[in-house]
Amino acid sequence: MYGKGLLKGLSVTGRNVFRKRLTEKYPEEKPQLAARWRGGFQLDVNECIACSLCEKACPNSAIKLTTEKNEENKKQLASYELNQSYCLFCGLCVEACPKKCLRFTREFETATYHKEEVKLDLFKNQNLSASASIYAQPEKATEAARKEEK
Amino acid sequence: MKTQTYTLNLGPQHPSTHGVLRVVLELDGETCVGSKTHVGYLHRGIEKILEDRTYPQVIPYTDRLDYLAGINNNLVYVQTMEKMMNIEIPERAEYIRVMLAELMRIASHMVGIGIYIMDLGAISAVFYPFIEREKILDMMAHLSGSRMTFNYMRIGGLAHDIHSDFKPELDKFIVEFPRFIEDYHRLIDDNEIFIARTKNVGTITAEKAKSYGLTGPNLRACGVKHDIRKTNPYGIYNRFDFEVPVGEIGDCYDRYVVRMKEVEESFKIIQQAYKELPDGPVMAKVPKLIKPPIGDVYHQTENPKGVLGCYVVSDGTPKPSRVHFRRPSFNNISIFDEIFIGHKIADIIAILASFDFVLGEVDA
Ligand code: SF4
Ligand code: SF4
Repeated sequence: MYGKGLLKGLSVTGRNVFRKRLTEKYPEEKPQLAARWRGGFQLDVNECIACSLCEKACPNSAIKLTTEKNEENKKQLASYELNQSYCLFCGLCVEACPKKCLRFTREFETATYHKEEVKLDLFKNQNLSASASIYAQPEKATEAARKEEK
Repeated sequence: MKTQTYTLNLGPQHPSTHGVLRVVLELDGETCVGSKTHVGYLHRGIEKILEDRTYPQVIPYTDRLDYLAGINNNLVYVQTMEKMMNIEIPERAEYIRVMLAELMRIASHMVGIGIYIMDLGAISAVFYPFIEREKILDMMAHLSGSRMTFNYMRIGGLAHDIHSDFKPELDKFIVEFPRFIEDYHRLIDDNEIFIARTKNVGTITAEKAKSYGLTGPNLRACGVKHDIRKTNPYGIYNRFDFEVPVGEIGDCYDRYVVRMKEVEESFKIIQQAYKELPDGPVMAKVPKLIKPPIGDVYHQTENPKGVLGCYVVSDGTPKPSRVHFRRPSFNNISIFDEIFIGHKIADIIAILASFDFVLGEVDA
């Protein structure tokens, strides 16, 4: 009978009408993002040893940092800029950091009104209050973070 | 009555050209009498950029070729480099690679089938496959922290081991997926409208498909049993039991059937790999600074869209002298100009959709 296939298909659609809704009610309900989410960045300036490995790891030269000598003649960070408009969010910088002080955050609403805000000045604004991602962090730290979440 | 043909630009901004493909059609009424396909609107010069990147820095760019199956592009590049440098990778990494490559094949085919049927006018048929794809992308986010541009594989293994949130989601997926397949066959297979729009439309003979260099499901739909995973197994594919589905006459309907069957085969491989997943490290011992010996290597893998080849030339420095990708979509769409002729516009839309090409890969 012509139209039998259509009816068979409609029965599938009919069954799905009564299925649990899958759509997230964003922005009222915020999504649960993965623990390794690569959203924004944070930098613990006190931990940073100004080795510029992150700058060298970056495929797109999105990171620009300058260093200076302090009173004890030790190298320290003088400025740190991450231009997100060139960033691939590949994570190679975070993986390269020996002190694990450059980290991803689990932010996702990163759209801005002004193009100047796309550049992150992580020296002035370390963004440490944002929820940190466990991407490329040592096992111990990630376990602690998981416990805290629970 | 005196009549004349006219020119119609299909694309580059047209929803059913799946990106920025431009086809200039010469039409006689509704019937196509000539066609010229233009590519290059999404050209980013990736191959040129890669000449100025170190070997590990190449990997994030490969994600952006066929962005619907980033993992498979990671795979071809890292395997090429492993071939070049003779690196053995740990068993666990091999198994995870196979699992992810097949998961991404399913995700890519879900888009391919869903959008195909949406272009033919069925709206709800796009949402069911997208639900399944969404589950896979969420799993990938647990592994790599990203939903589409993963940058998860490394020369010598994987960036990190799987995250503990991954396994429960995969278990759930394995339980739920067969139900989806069954439902989808009920929804589409006997649908009279779908059959009328696709049977005997855009038929390609096996000879013609081979002469144009078609690969992947588009070639297999023409009845050619060619799959790199079987004919020239890479990684550990020879350990798994799966079939290579083929079509009969190479029309639009066969291309749908082949993709659906392939999804089932991929699902079989995932189950086998998941069952045998060994413990251990996921990264081999690789020097910090990757400096391969002078020489060149070509390697190819079976991508969801077809045979993806990677050619790397090394001059002994930490940066490649040349990286070239043989992108399957680029070769696949080369046949368009010939098969469009004689078809009505609505059929051309069906053929375009049935080919499941990705412009990120065509233009690179
Ligand atoms: S995520 Fe990648 S592109 Fe972005 S700053 Fe880090 S290394 Fe550079
Ligand atoms: S790699 Fe880490 S420690 Fe070194 S400069 Fe960058 S942020 Fe600082």
